[in-house]
Amino acid sequence: MLGRGLKRKLSDYEENMAGLSSAFDSSRNLPYPLKRQLVLNMCLTKLQTYKMLVEPNLHRSVLIANTVRQIQEEMRQESNQQPINVCPGITPSTHSYAGIESSGISLQLPSGISQQESNCCDLRSVEDPIENSLLIVSDDDMSSAISSILKDLDFVEDISPPTCLVPTGDDQPKFPENTGLKLEDDRQDLKGAECVFGSFEISNSTSYLKDLAIDDIFEDIDTSMYDSDFCCPPLAPPRSPALATEEPLKTFPSCNSSSASNIQICRTDLSELDHIMEILVGS
Amino acid sequence: ADIISTVEFNHSGELLATGDKGGRVVIFQQEQENKIQSHSRGEYNVYSTFQSHEPEFDYLKSLEIEEKINKIRWLPQKNAAQFLLSTNDKTIKLWKISERDKRPEGYNLKEEDGRYRDPTTVTTLRVPVFRPMDLMVEASPRRIFANAHTYHINSISINSDYETYLSADDLRINLWHLEITDRSFNIVDIKPANMEELTEVITAAEFHPNSCNTFVYSSSKGTIRLCDMRASALCDRHSKLFEEPEDPSNRSFFSEIISSISDVKFSHSGRYMMTRDYLSVKIWDLNMENRPVETYQVHEYLRSKLCSLYENDCIFDKFECCWNGSDIVMTGSYNNFFRMFDRNTKRDVTLEASRENNKPRTVLKPRKVCASGKRKKDEISVDSLDFNKKILHTAWHPKENIIAVATTNNLYIFQDKMN
Repeated sequence: MLGRGLKRKLSDYEENMAGLSSAFDSSRNLPYPLKRQLVLNMCLTKLQTYKMLVEPNLHRSVLIANTVRQIQEEMRQESNQQPINVCPGITPSTHSYAGIESSGISLQLPSGISQQESNCCDLRSVEDPIENSLLIVSDDDMSSAISSILKDLDFVEDISPPTCLVPTGDDQPKFPENTGLKLEDDRQDLKGAECVFGSFEISNSTSYLKDLAIDDIFEDIDTSMYDSDFCCPPLAPPRSPALATEEPLKTFPSCNSSSASNIQICRTDLSELDHIMEILVGS
Repeated sequence: ADIISTVEFNHSGELLATGDKGGRVVIFQQEQENKIQSHSRGEYNVYSTFQSHEPEFDYLKSLEIEEKINKIRWLPQKNAAQFLLSTNDKTIKLWKISERDKRPEGYNLKEEDGRYRDPTTVTTLRVPVFRPMDLMVEASPRRIFANAHTYHINSISINSDYETYLSADDLRINLWHLEITDRSFNIVDIKPANMEELTEVITAAEFHPNSCNTFVYSSSKGTIRLCDMRASALCDRHSKLFEEPEDPSNRSFFSEIISSISDVKFSHSGRYMMTRDYLSVKIWDLNMENRPVETYQVHEYLRSKLCSLYENDCIFDKFECCWNGSDIVMTGSYNNFFRMFDRNTKRDVTLEASRENNKPRTVLKPRKVCASGKRKKDEISVDSLDFNKKILHTAWHPKENIIAVATTNNLYIFQDKMN
């Protein structure tokens, strides 16, 4: 199902995902980091989709978040062990993307990764297949993804604390402690409810306020920022599709074509990807 | 709306209740055995249908509350009426199902059709008598237990004292008294102070069949905790923790997801409990916490397909399981297959619930899935399994070898062949 060196159209995006997962399942030759990256992409995509739901499924979100954490922990340990690793350009502590040129990135890759394997993951463009095959997601982005979805799940706050019976005499010494803790928790919950309600309101409205803030940041930033693989936080709060498509239009003209090719798979908005492809093909 | 979401026999096995996604409950009743022709046990026919839950809207949180029935549990019969608990995501209801097969006739002041008689025409008095009428089955809600769960209810379980029951959602378990609807006691709370630290949710809970102070709950991390309500008011500290160490050779990215337990059931004796995770059924002895006594693979051939199953969300399917006494266990799979494992003989069988392949009253043919390599005749290859045809809910008659198997839209009732 996966062609060799064939350029994939974005309309085949979903087919590709299915093809990738069956490739994962059937192929024994996929290198471990690639498999891990694939799983990570799928997890983040799902979390992103869930964020857009009115009421995400808590059970699933927790399972996926745990999987992301597990992968994150592995990648952290690996990057601690080797300075040059499969995720070029990242060290856990750094946020400075400036000056990382795409040519520099490919130099750092281990030589073991072959062209064919990179094409297995080639969803976005052929210009820099090696680099694009390993989606770079920073540690902090993963953490923020998990945090944001779990925080949003917290919006279902208890309004009234659960009642507890006055116990028999035997339980007396223990019980006040329990009630004390529970009531405190509930008070914190209620306070948290107010804060979370606040943030929930913002993230679930059209969120134009947040978008404006992000645009302002981008206007001030040096174009050299966009030479890295991180254009913007991949897991920002959900935006309405109309505004989301405006954003790349604003930002991409300031990028050169090679960095514009670093499309992040975390965006599930297919119309957005279509837009980007048009720009690439046009350029 | 016709998607079956739960199946449960009552304590005698005479009644079988199903709940569906549209909030309806349909109860089937077994025909009384024909003593003369004892070639088969009675068939199950529709006895009562009622709308248990309606869709609701939570205005405070702007959320729709689904009317889908998540679980039904029967109460043991105490008088002529039957009682069951049914629950959706947020509200539990106690329903009374009663029969009416007689009606009073011969009122003094009313005609038979209900019109009032002219009092001047009443010259004699008579005593009304009960006369037979066509059987009418009525269901009425007797208690509504609401507003106690912030998260979605996944389990209800009636205590062996027949006075209390528990309800469990993703993060909390509450204890109720059947007579009291405005109060419940929180007995387990695993919600962290900071939701970002949440790594585990409650997936199922059940009371011990004999000890009214003991219950278990399972988690998304593959652990089961047994709690004793005598220990403290809030049972956040377990008395026993059942967990099997992970097999390092089977480790994958999806290990945690497939270890999530979807169902936990005590054996009828209460000595064992069974858990169902994505690929297997495990039998635990309550006296041994560090590993299960038996593990049965339901569909091991799916282990190499986990990424695809993750991608299409099938990996999150919650299969239930059920006991036949303490000897045979049953659970569902894909392609309308269901599996039975005999603990004594160690034999297992795969059967299919479908109309095309089985005529009524014919013996079910065992099926086999070919994992890899050359497919033999009558075998089905893994790639041609239909993952939309899943059997999540099954139930076994408490006394006889009669099983109820729910496919997505249909209910199948099978019985063992009588000679």
